[in-house]
Amino acid sequence: MKQAVKIITKKDFLTLVNTLLQNKTYDVVGVKAKGKRYVFDTLNDADELSLDYDVTILPPKKYFLPQYEQLMKFSLEKPFEVKETIDDQPRIIIGVHPYDIIALQQTDTQYLDPPKDDFYKKRRDNTIVIGVDIQNVSERSFAGSMKTHVTETGFDLLLTDLGATYAVTVGTEKGSTLLKKYATTKDATSAEIKKIKDVRDNIAKKYKKKVKVDKKDWSSILVANYANSFWEERSDFCMECSSCTVVCPTCFCYDVHDEVSLNLKNGQRIRTWDGCMLRGFTKLGSGEVFREEPKERYRHRFYRKGNYLPERFGFVACVGCGRCGIACLPDIADPCDVMNELASFGHEEDTGRFFIKQKTDAAEKGIIHIPRSATIKRAEARSEIDTLFEIELDDKKPLGHAPGQFVEVSVFGYGEAPFGVSSPPIDTPSFEIMVRKVGNVTSKLVSMKPGDKVGIRGPLGNGFDVKALEGKNILFTSGGTGMVPMRSLINYVLDKKNRGKFKEITILYGAKRPKEILFMSDVDQWKKVENVQCELTVDKCDANECWDGCIGLITTLFPKVRMDKFDSQNTIVVVIGPPVMYKFVIQCLRTMGIPEENIIVSLERRMKCGVGKCGHCQINGVYVCKEGPVFNYKEIKTLPEAFE
Amino acid sequence: MKQKLRVAVFDFADCEGCELEIANLEEEILDLIEIVDIVSFREVMKEHSDTYDIAIVEGSIMRPMDERRLRSIRSKAKILVALGACATIGGVNKIRNQWMPDEVLHEVYGNADVKGNELFDVFKTKALKEVVPVDYYIHGCPIDRDEFKHVITALALGKKPEIPTYPVCVECKKNENICQFELGKFCLGPITRAGCKAICPTHNSPCEGCRGLIKKAEADCVKEVLERYKLSYEDIRRRCTMYNYGREECSVDE
Repeated sequence: MKQAVKIITKKDFLTLVNTLLQNKTYDVVGVKAKGKRYVFDTLNDADELSLDYDVTILPPKKYFLPQYEQLMKFSLEKPFEVKETIDDQPRIIIGVHPYDIIALQQTDTQYLDPPKDDFYKKRRDNTIVIGVDIQNVSERSFAGSMKTHVTETGFDLLLTDLGATYAVTVGTEKGSTLLKKYATTKDATSAEIKKIKDVRDNIAKKYKKKVKVDKKDWSSILVANYANSFWEERSDFCMECSSCTVVCPTCFCYDVHDEVSLNLKNGQRIRTWDGCMLRGFTKLGSGEVFREEPKERYRHRFYRKGNYLPERFGFVACVGCGRCGIACLPDIADPCDVMNELASFGHEEDTGRFFIKQKTDAAEKGIIHIPRSATIKRAEARSEIDTLFEIELDDKKPLGHAPGQFVEVSVFGYGEAPFGVSSPPIDTPSFEIMVRKVGNVTSKLVSMKPGDKVGIRGPLGNGFDVKALEGKNILFTSGGTGMVPMRSLINYVLDKKNRGKFKEITILYGAKRPKEILFMSDVDQWKKVENVQCELTVDKCDANECWDGCIGLITTLFPKVRMDKFDSQNTIVVVIGPPVMYKFVIQCLRTMGIPEENIIVSLERRMKCGVGKCGHCQINGVYVCKEGPVFNYKEIKTLPEAFE
Repeated sequence: MKQKLRVAVFDFADCEGCELEIANLEEEILDLIEIVDIVSFREVMKEHSDTYDIAIVEGSIMRPMDERRLRSIRSKAKILVALGACATIGGVNKIRNQWMPDEVLHEVYGNADVKGNELFDVFKTKALKEVVPVDYYIHGCPIDRDEFKHVITALALGKKPEIPTYPVCVECKKNENICQFELGKFCLGPITRAGCKAICPTHNSPCEGCRGLIKKAEADCVKEVLERYKLSYEDIRRRCTMYNYGREECSVDE
C-alpha cells in the first residue's frame, strides 16, 4: 500500500502539538531533554520537544507496560469484590524512533498472541504513535546494521525532518484523521519524497557501531556456542543489576504481587517489570532457583533475543538501540559486541535445539488476569504439611480440565500460586487441589475454611493426551508432590468407564517419609484394582514412624516392576516428581528398554502468569505454563535447561 | 475480627529518625492502630506494656547493658523486626569500629572519669542480629514509610514480608535517572539492596549503601567497574565506611 506523505512546516507542527495540549483529550507525551540525556515524558509545551535526540533512557514501552500497573482492585472485607482496572486514557506519543516502533511491534506479537493481554491491548488501541526518523545516532546504537533504523509500518504518523518542514508519512487511518482534524498540510512533491529517502540513506551511514552477524544467523551461532566458556568468563563481571533488561525495548517480562491498604480493608494487584538477570526471577515458593548461576542468567538473555523468540515468532528480539550498552557498568550487555565476538569463535559442538513447537489450545476469551470467583467446599488435612481442598466455581460450571493441567489460585491480599489439579476430569463444578504449606499464598490457604472465597484462573497449560495412552501399558512414576497431578490421571485411567481402554497398569510412588505420602486412601483403592501393581517407597523413616514398606529412593522400585507382563515398546511411562528425580528415573527407564518417545514428563517451574507472557517458567525457549507442563521426553530433552 | 497484634517500638543507639518516620505517617497512624495495638513507643506515647507480639527495634547495640535489654525484649516478642540501618546493619554507628572503644571514649570525653559507669561501658558496635535472632528487616537510613507499611500489613495478615533482593540500579533505571557513574560520580547503587525507590540518585546524590550491601565490594565485577571509571578500591572502601564498615557477609535474605 502506498502511504500518503504530507508536508507540514515546523511551526505548524508545534502549533498542532500545542492544540492537542490545550484540547486535553489526550495525554501528550514527547521526547524531552533530561540533563545530557533524553526521556519520554508528558509535555507541557511543544517547545519542550527534542526531536533531534539520539536515544532515550527508557524506551516508550513504559506507556504500554507501565513499571507499576494496577491490574485490579479488591476488597478484603467483602470476599470476591474484584474489579479490573484497565487504563483507558487516550495518549499521543511524539518522537518514537523506528527501532522503538519495531520493538513495539514485537511486543504486540507477544502480548496479543492468544490469550491476548487486554490491558496492553487497550493501551495500544488508545495510543497514537507519532514516529520520527533518526537525526542523531547514539554512539552505542547499531540499528543501521540491524536494519531497524528505518521502518515502513508500526506508526500512525512518521515525521522526517526536511529542514524547515517535516514530511509526515501517514501510516494509519487514525493518524490521517488526527492530521486532518488538527493541522494544515499539503501533499508532498516527488522531490520531497526523494528527500525523505536521502535523509534515511544518510542515517544508515552515520552508524559507527555495526553488528557483523546477519540477523538470520544469530540463532545458529548461539546454538553452536551454548556450552562456550565465554558465558561464564563474561558473567564474572555481571553486577546482576538487570539494568540491561530494564532499559531494553524488547524485554517485557513481568511480576505480579498483591498490596493491601494499611487498614487492611482493600488492596490491589500490581504488575511490575521483572528481569531474567535477577536471581529471584525463577525462584519457586519452595525456594528452588532455576538458573542459579550468573552465567545461566547472562546466557539466557542473549538466547532469548537471538534464539528463543526468533524460533517462536520469527524475529530477533534486539533492535540495536544500544541502551543496554550505555546502561551496563561493566559493559558486557551489548548484543552487538557479544554477537561479533561469538562469530569470531570457531563453531563449537552443536548442543541441540532450544525450542519445541507445541500445540496449545489457549482460548482467546475474557480478561486473562482476572480470576473467577470460587468457594472452598471442603478442606482436609492430609499430612502435617498438606491439605486437600475441594473448590467449586461459583458459576457452577465444571472446570473442564484434562489431567495434568493446573490452575492459578488467588487469595486476595496474599497473591496467586499455581496448583496441579488432583481430581480426574468430571462434569461437576468442583475440583480438588493439594496444598503444601511453603510460601505466603499456601500458608494462608491452609488456614482457610469451607465457605471461604478464592479466585481461580484456568485450567492452564497442556495436560496429558489420554487418547494417546489408550491400548498401552502405563507405568506411573511419581515422587513427592508429583502425585498431585498424577492422581488426576491415575483416577481417570482406573475409572470403571475407562479402565478397559488401557492395558497393564503399574504405579510407583516415592515420598520423603511416611507422613508425607499423599492420597493414602486412593493408594489403598488402587492396590485393590485387578491387574494393577502399586508399589510405594519412602526416602527415610524415623524410628517413631509406622512404616513396613520399602525404604529407598524411587529408583529402588523399578526392579519390582513385573517385567514378564511388560512389553517395553508398548509401555508409556509417565514421570512426575521433583526436578532432581528425573535424571535418575529416566536412566532406569532407558536400561529397561523404554523408548524415549514413550516417556511423558510433567515439569515444575515458576508458573506465574500461566499464559506464556511473564517469562518466569521458561525452559530455554519453551513456556512451561503454556506449552507444558506435560512434555514428551524425547522432545524436551533437547532443551539443556530441562533436566540440568 | 481476631485479636489485634500487640506492637512495641524500642530504640537503642540511634537518632530516632526511623521512629519519627513511623510517627510521620500522620493521619495514617489511625489506620495503623486499627490493625495493631501499639503498646509501647517511647517517642510518641507515655504508656508502656511488657506484653507484646511484635517488637520493632531501632538502633545499634553498644554496651553490655544494651545486650541485656535486647535479650529481654527478644524473650518477650514472638517476632522481632529490626528498624533502620543502625539496627539492621549497624549503620553509621559502626564507623567508630575503626578504633578501639577506649580510643573513641577518649576522643569524645577526653579525660573525664567514666570508669565504672556502665553507661560508658562500650564495646564495638553491633547490629541487632549479632546479639539476638532477627525475624524481619526494615532497611534504610531512614526507613521508607511505604516499606514500613508493607512489612506491618504483611505481619498483620500473617504473611512473610518480602523485600527486594536486587540492587538499587533496578529502581534507579525505572525512575529513568542518568547513571551517577555517567555523571562522573561514584555510587553504591549497583551493590546495595533496593527498596528505597532509588531516592538518593533520583535526587542526584549517589547511593551511600544504607540498606546494606548485597554484593561484596571486592567482587570481580566491582573491580572491573572501578577500573573502567578510574576509581580506586580505596574509594569504594571509604564509601562503604559510612554504613557498611566491617561488614563481611552480604546476605540477600535478611
